Amino acid sequence: MTETQVRDPSLSSPGPGRLLAINGQGLKQLIKASLAWLKSNQQAINALNVFPVPDGDTGTNMLLTMESAWAEVDKTPADRVGQVARAIAHGALMGARGNSGVILSQLWRGFARSLDDKETLTAADLAPALQEGSQTAYKGVIKPVEGTILTVAREVAEACADDTGDDDLAAILERLVARGRESVARTPTLLPILKQAGVVDSGGQGYLVILEGMLRHLCGEPVTVGAIAAAMPAVEISEAEIDAGDVSLGYAYDVQCLVVGEDLDVDRMCADISAMGRSALIVGDAKTVKVHVHVRDYMAVFDYVHQCGRVREASTEDMAAQYQDYVAARSQREASAERIFQVQPGQVATVAVAPGEGLSRVFQSLGVGAIVPGGQTMNPSTEQFLKVVEQLPTDKVLILPNNGNVVLAAQQAADLAPAGKHIVVVPTKTVPQGIAAQLAFNAQSTLEANVAAMEHAAHHIQTGEVTTATRDVEMNGVQVKQGRFIGLLNDMLSTSGDSIEDVVWGLLEQMGTADREIITLYYGNGVQRAEAEALAQAIRERYPSQEIEIVEGGQPHYFYILSTE
Amino acid sequence: MSEETQLGKIEISPTAIATITAQAVLQSYGVVGMAPKHLGDELMTALGDAAHRGVQVRVDGDHIQIDLYVVVEYGTRISSVAHSIMNVVRYNVERALGVQVAQVNVHVQGLHVSNSDV
Repeated sequence: MTETQVRDPSLSSPGPGRLLAINGQGLKQLIKASLAWLKSNQQAINALNVFPVPDGDTGTNMLLTMESAWAEVDKTPADRVGQVARAIAHGALMGARGNSGVILSQLWRGFARSLDDKETLTAADLAPALQEGSQTAYKGVIKPVEGTILTVAREVAEACADDTGDDDLAAILERLVARGRESVARTPTLLPILKQAGVVDSGGQGYLVILEGMLRHLCGEPVTVGAIAAAMPAVEISEAEIDAGDVSLGYAYDVQCLVVGEDLDVDRMCADISAMGRSALIVGDAKTVKVHVHVRDYMAVFDYVHQCGRVREASTEDMAAQYQDYVAARSQREASAERIFQVQPGQVATVAVAPGEGLSRVFQSLGVGAIVPGGQTMNPSTEQFLKVVEQLPTDKVLILPNNGNVVLAAQQAADLAPAGKHIVVVPTKTVPQGIAAQLAFNAQSTLEANVAAMEHAAHHIQTGEVTTATRDVEMNGVQVKQGRFIGLLNDMLSTSGDSIEDVVWGLLEQMGTADREIITLYYGNGVQRAEAEALAQAIRERYPSQEIEIVEGGQPHYFYILSTE
Repeated sequence: MSEETQLGKIEISPTAIATITAQAVLQSYGVVGMAPKHLGDELMTALGDAAHRGVQVRVDGDHIQIDLYVVVEYGTRISSVAHSIMNVVRYNVERALGVQVAQVNVHVQGLHVSNSDV
C-alpha cells in the first residue's frame, strides 16, 4: 500500500485556506497517509526496542495494527466521521499486535466513542476525542508505566485541551505534533530502562509518527521513504509496488480469466469478486467479462465464475516469487542510492562517501548528514554530491571523500556549489581517516573550526588496506604479480604477500602498531565474521597491549581495512 | 530450585518467582486484575499473600512452569494481550534469575468492562 503525495478535495486545500472540519472521507485520507508514513518509519521505530523479546518489534506491530484499521476503513463507504472512526477502531482492534498495537487500538476505541455519530470533526471535537482515547487506554492496565505511548498520548490530549489557538485543524495538529515530539523526547527521563539503552520509547515514537503522517498529508508533503530519500516530486506507484503491497498482505495469487455467458451481471460480479481480494479489475458486458484480481485463495474465484458462465483463458500466478525479486531489486536500488539523514537546519552537515553497508551504518551512527555510496571502483559523480548538498537543509556542508580517487569529484562539487551553499572538502583518502574526521566533527561549531579539527584528526590515523593486485606492477620499491595480496599504507602500495595474514603483519608493522593503542579491523563483503574474528585473535596474540575492535564494513574488493590510532 | 556454588547453595523459592511474575503481569497492558484459580481458593488467597493472587509457579528440577489467572479489559484483542503477558513474564523472570522458563500459561478467567462501548 504505497502512498504517493496526497492532496484531495475532501480536505480544504492546504495553504492559505483554513481547515475547519474533517468529514469521513477526510479522516480516511489522514489514516492512509499516517499508515504510509508509519511504513516509512517502521524500521527506525523497530530499532528503538529495548526488550529483546519475540514480537518486540514495535514499528512492525503498530504498522500491522494500522494496516488492519485501514483495511476496515477502506471498505466502508461511510461519509460520517463517526462511522469512519468506528471502522478504524474496529479494524485496529481486530488486527492489534503486541502491546503497542493493543494500546493503539484502545486509543482509537476511545476516539471513536467520543465522536459517536458525528458528521464532521471540528476543533471543538478533537480535544474530547483525544482525551477519551487516552483515558480508555489508561483503563487497560493496573499499573500504567509512564514514559510510554500512554504518556505521549495523554500529553498530546492535554495539549489539545489547553490549546487556545485558532480553529484551523491543520494548525492545531501542527502544535500537537510539536508537543508530541517534546513528550517523546522526555520519555527516557521517565523510564530508566530507556535511558540506559539510550533510546526514546518506541511506542510513543510510533504514535507521534501517526500524527506526523496526518500533518504531512495536510501540508502536502510526501509520506513515503522513497519520496523523501530521492526527493522526487511525485513517486509513481508502479504495478510492481501495488502487487508487492497485496502480496505482503497475503493476497499472493494473481487470477485472470474470461467469463463467457448469455446474460452476465457485470456489476454483481464486480462486487462479489472485489470482496474476495484486492486490486480487482472486472470489465465487460453481458456476454463477456474479463476478470483480474489478487486473492488468497484462487479456487474460490474459479468456483464463483464457474457459476456465472463458461470460463476461458484462466490463469493463476503465484506472485510471491515476483515479490521476492521485487524486494531484492528494491534493496539493491536502495543500497546504491544516496541517503539523507536528519540535520538541524542551518547547522554544519557532513556528507560521507561509504563503500558498503556496514561502513554506511558506521557513518550514520556517527551523525553524518548524508551518505553517498561509492569508493575505489565506483566513484561517485560530482552530480551526486551536488544532489545531496541541494537536499540538505543547511548552507554549510563538509564532504568526506574517504578515497584518493574521489577527492577530485568532491572538489569539483565544492567549486560548483549552488548559490547560497558553502561546500568544503576535507580531503580524507581512506575510510578510517573519514571516520576519525567525523568523530572530530561538531555540528554546532563553525565550518572553519570543523575543517581544522577534522583534518587534524584524519592526519593522526594510520590506514592499512588489504586487497589483491589487478596487474603486475612495481611501485614504491614493491614488486607485485597479478593476483597476489597487496597492502596499501595510507593509500600507497607498501607491501605484498602470499596470504592475507602476511600482508596484515607487514601493514601493522609499517603502521607502527606497537606504539599505538587501538586497532580497528573493518572486514569486507567477501569475508565471514568468523574469519575476521580469527584474524583479530591472531593480531591480539601478536599485539597483546593494544585494543582490537572488529567492524563489519561490507566494502567490496578490500578484504580488510585496518586502522590504528 | 537451587544452584550449588563453591561458597554454598543458592535457593530460589517458587514464591520469589511468583513475586517477580506478579509485578510483571500487573504492568502488562490489558490486564486489569488477577483471579483465583477456583472460586473456593478465594478465601485462601485472600487470607494468604495478595501479591501472588492468580499466579501459580511449579518448579520441578530445572523446569519452571508458570500459570497465570487473569482478568482482561473488555474490548482488547485478548490473544495479543495474552501473548504480551507471556513475553514480558518470561523476559522478566529469565532476566532476574538467569534460568529458562519452560512454560508460561495464561488463563483468561474473565473480562472486565470499564468502558460501555459504542
